[in-house]
Amino acid sequence: MQRITCPERDDWRTTADETGFDFHTIDGERYWDERAYYAFTLDEIEHQIEAPSGEIDAMCLELVACAIGDEDYLRRLKIPESFWPLISDSWYRDEASLYGRLDLSFDGRGPAKLLEYNADTPTSIFEAAVFQWTWLEQAIGRRIIPEHADQFNSIHEHLIEAWKKLGEARYLHLAGTTESSEDAGTLAYLEDTARQAGLATTLIDIEDIGWRDDGSFVDPDDRGIELAFKLYPWEWMFHDAFGRRLAQAPTRWIEPPWKAILSNKGILPLLWEMFPDHPNLLPAFFEDDPKVSPKSIQAVSSAWSILDMVNRGRADDKAVGRQITLGSGGCWLRLTQEQYTKLLSRGRGDN
Amino acid sequence: MKRSRRVVLTMMGSAAIGAVSMGLVRRSDCGPGGVSRLARGPDGRLIENCGVTYGGFGGAPHRFHGHGHGGG
Repeated sequence: MQRITCPERDDWRTTADETGFDFHTIDGERYWDERAYYAFTLDEIEHQIEAPSGEIDAMCLELVACAIGDEDYLRRLKIPESFWPLISDSWYRDEASLYGRLDLSFDGRGPAKLLEYNADTPTSIFEAAVFQWTWLEQAIGRRIIPEHADQFNSIHEHLIEAWKKLGEARYLHLAGTTESSEDAGTLAYLEDTARQAGLATTLIDIEDIGWRDDGSFVDPDDRGIELAFKLYPWEWMFHDAFGRRLAQAPTRWIEPPWKAILSNKGILPLLWEMFPDHPNLLPAFFEDDPKVSPKSIQAVSSAWSILDMVNRGRADDKAVGRQITLGSGGCWLRLTQEQYTKLLSRGRGDN
Repeated sequence: MKRSRRVVLTMMGSAAIGAVSMGLVRRSDCGPGGVSRLARGPDGRLIENCGVTYGGFGGAPHRFHGHGHGGG
């Protein structure tokens, strides 16, 4: 794998705006950055990224199967007990997932490592499926990258195919916090793919989901919500006022409730317990694990807590991107992805 | 090998100017034939509705400050 710097297209912002990608710049800072690209060999793509991704997915599903039948897992993940039946019912009904995003650390010199699984409300899909592809075609056309350059990317087609299976001719609602341009853009893109799959759709804000007296969720036009894609985390739905209505309503949700297990960062230590020393996992532990030294707890948990802060919007944009900024007590340390991985490895060495 | 297609968007982008705002259905009053009445909302306050209670989802981002870039 190589990181290769390259000139950016001088008109990429206009192209982005025309495509509907209006969150390419957030709070005045670049969100989309094409001043470098990564070159992979086909072996790296197929055997070192794609195959491990499939294996991680399989391990995650095995973990869900264990957690569904074991209260101890659900307690350790701190999932509210009142939602356990909703979660297990969705699992036993085999309710399908549309997509998730595995965040991997990979440098081409060792196995890909799972950093986290965005299993419930992953964004970045429009950029990955569409704008990255547009970049490839234009960059080849403008001789920014070699003519034979290719991209392992069939997200768009797979989404459309997945909608065909998931939709089953049902009416689809898509809901999220539409005041966020990133979330609204993600929803608009997914709606586009759903329509290409033949589904009739309506896009609404999550706050505009209503509860009708007859025991069903409805949209602003009083249409019953039968099938809903929500870009809104399960853990938030559980805490919202309508959370207690979820079990009563016939609505089928995408992602399904069992994804509340996999979107929980507590799966990382659980995976490490189930599959110790797996080459695609990083050592991870709960804070109260007696096997872990205080020093390694500090190294790992501080790193993850900062990542969690970033994910929850509690850290500013400087903490995301190609670099990770770790901080506590007003002292901040900026690390590359590679240095960050080493930090986690050092935590393992302390055991 | 892997490059097999051109991405086609039917709604997003300039073909459907501002697809997000255009496609977004906002809540209005009770709609055609709807009769409003007062009822208790999820927080216990009296609100006007059409046999439908709104606002039961969406409170969490204000408590949790959004799910941030990249999703969760």
